[in-house]
Amino acid sequence: MSDTHPEVHEERILWTELLWAFGVGIFIAASLSMIVFTALTRDINPPSNVERVDPKTLHLSGEFAEQNLGTSVGSDGSVTVRMIATQFMFAPRCIAVPQGRRVTLRFASPDVIHGLLITGTNVNTMVIPGFVAQVHTEFARTGDLLMPCHEYCGLGHSEMYATVQVMSQSDFIPEADGRVSCAKR
Amino acid sequence: MRNAERLCLAHFWVAFAAFLVAAALGTWQMWVRSPLGAHIGTPGQYFMSVTAHGVSMAYVLTTFFIMGFGYFVAVTALDRPLPGKPWAWAAFWAAIIGVVMVLLTIIAGKASVLFTFYPPLTASPWFYIGLVLVVVASWVWCILMLAAMAGWKRENRGRPVPLAMFATVANAVMWLWTTVGVAVELLYQVIPAAFGWVQTIDVGLARTLFSWTLHAIVYFWLIPAYIAFYTMVPRAAGGRLYSDTMGRLTFILFLIYSLPVGMHHLLMDPEHGNGTKFIQVLLTAFVSVPTLLTIFTITASLEIAGRLRGGRGVLGWIAALPWERPTVLAVGLAFVMLGFGGFGGLINMGYGMNAMVHNTSWVTAHFHLIFGGSVVIMYFAIAYEIWPRLTGREHSSLAPLRWQLWLWFIGMMVMTLPWHWLGLQGQWRRVANFNYADPIIASWGPLVIVSVVGGFLLLLSALLFVRNLIALHRSAIIAVRRPLYALAVHPPQRVPAALNGFGLWNVLVLVLMLLAYGYPLAQFAITPSPSAMVHRVQ
Amino acid sequence: MPVEQPSAASDSFEVADEVSETALADVLRVVPLGAGVLAGTMVALLVLGYLAVYLLVFLPRGPVG
Repeated sequence: MSDTHPEVHEERILWTELLWAFGVGIFIAASLSMIVFTALTRDINPPSNVERVDPKTLHLSGEFAEQNLGTSVGSDGSVTVRMIATQFMFAPRCIAVPQGRRVTLRFASPDVIHGLLITGTNVNTMVIPGFVAQVHTEFARTGDLLMPCHEYCGLGHSEMYATVQVMSQSDFIPEADGRVSCAKR
Repeated sequence: MRNAERLCLAHFWVAFAAFLVAAALGTWQMWVRSPLGAHIGTPGQYFMSVTAHGVSMAYVLTTFFIMGFGYFVAVTALDRPLPGKPWAWAAFWAAIIGVVMVLLTIIAGKASVLFTFYPPLTASPWFYIGLVLVVVASWVWCILMLAAMAGWKRENRGRPVPLAMFATVANAVMWLWTTVGVAVELLYQVIPAAFGWVQTIDVGLARTLFSWTLHAIVYFWLIPAYIAFYTMVPRAAGGRLYSDTMGRLTFILFLIYSLPVGMHHLLMDPEHGNGTKFIQVLLTAFVSVPTLLTIFTITASLEIAGRLRGGRGVLGWIAALPWERPTVLAVGLAFVMLGFGGFGGLINMGYGMNAMVHNTSWVTAHFHLIFGGSVVIMYFAIAYEIWPRLTGREHSSLAPLRWQLWLWFIGMMVMTLPWHWLGLQGQWRRVANFNYADPIIASWGPLVIVSVVGGFLLLLSALLFVRNLIALHRSAIIAVRRPLYALAVHPPQRVPAALNGFGLWNVLVLVLMLLAYGYPLAQFAITPSPSAMVHRVQ
Repeated sequence: MPVEQPSAASDSFEVADEVSETALADVLRVVPLGAGVLAGTMVALLVLGYLAVYLLVFLPRGPVG
């Protein structure tokens, strides 16, 4: 009886497996294509700006010296936020950002690994000592958001978070030096 | 069982003892970080507990279980004495010494660096040396697995290696590759820093080396569960394995694709660029293939069993399966959790989409569900299935086994489903206590409490599991001779060498690792990162 | 712990089972229809869920890069 012969079973079995693998392959290819498409057309990428900075001298001079921290608007209108992530606080503790405009956030750590996210947005990055972490985004809605440190950085990790005030564009007014501070509440 | 029972039981009891302690710690952690336990416990205690919980679950439960199970398979599937048994015992005791060192340093408060121990946070050097001892012991196991298979092949020229052993050795080979990353990180960077021989450390390099191990290790944990799927479940259900060939292919695919994907844990890291991240996302898509193949093959195997038992119609065979058998119940529950856990994993690996979930409770939910859920429930099933063979006793009733499995499933779902939602809200990880006065955090409180309930159910299940095994040791019923391993629909007479050994696949692993990790690691030699000061946790 | 007792099972890998080859051949006419439907449905739900999260949750939160 040829239809009970094991080899015939095996051949048909492998065909069904191939068919299934093909279907699964299509799903995988489609998902990857979607990812590539949004990466190229909507600028959706993981934060991957590889830029080195010496953690041991951050505070002394240069971009992450204390006087440069916080939000500042450049002469071309670009909005850049610079923050330090350190055990166990962000400096500054509050930043102001505009709604509906592209914002570039740059972080550095002088000590250990930190990380952060901003609730309700796709802002998420690790902060690795030795590298500047840079994320771009656009804030859709006004309001106060949380920016916690989300990577274990020591015993004070649980208390480490900052506030992000998303302001309407009319409220987002730079001072003479281009800096914008949080509104006093 | 050729006198290997003691060796297997020793490994299993260490694994399950660590598991029980870790389960209790996990439940305590959930309590104190919820609104219910808001003023209990200090951060020092909390992070000591998280370190102990992670190390026990991720390194002790797993390594000891896998070693014990490997010895069991080597003896029973090959029907041969274990080669080098004195070495196996030596490795066991070395690992015990390692575990004791790790535990003592944690309890002393000198190792609160969590199981991921990201430098520059640095613990006592004895913490790391203890872990190294456990890894070295597992390398001895790997060599013994290879030796057992080689010995059997010499005596059985031309015959296919039994699938359970083929898969075990695939896992051993993969583990040897996997541990290279963390071994280099510890020996070259972290231990010298911990001893104070160097004052600074290249953090980007350390993270990249660890990522090499961090993803592949979860497949090391997962493969024993898949061994149970392919070689035990079909027999337990009363059917046949749909395809032995697909089984071999699956384990080969895991060997190849588990390793060159570790950087999907670094998608949010600033030390690597988009190109290398995307390559590893692509390879991660490939590692989803063996799981998707397994879902089909095992479901088809269960369909055979169900239809043999009289199940009719397109899906009627499901009800016809012998769900009263713990192994069958376990695979059903495991597949449900695999569905949810796999869904989370697909989102984690989605390149830019990782930004939505990285380091939130979503990630915690994902790995508890997929590892703690689908994989560990199969560890329970394996233990229930082979304990009679190890002890010579039979379970007096299967009801407590089924209760334990259901409790684990329900507890895991109740604990992890809220975490997925909380993660999307932005709840972040590794927190000793939340400030529930903040309005955003306060809104999370109710779901946190729901997941605490899940945690308590899991602890109950863990206690019941250990009780069930102890009861078996004391059972008055002598075990009945019963075959364990499943037959395939078409038991292979010969298989191609590529499906009977790993020479070719090792070459492929090397090629893929060069492609995926070559530049990411080389860049640290070409352009060293500015190094960071070592931070000792004391 | 009984170590020297006769082993609790004959664990040689290819011990025959109770499945008759004719019964097996019969069910193999239908298998893997059920598996295809069940696994296929589950994977389809997975894909739809993934798309839903991508389009309805992730993209609306704004760009990242």
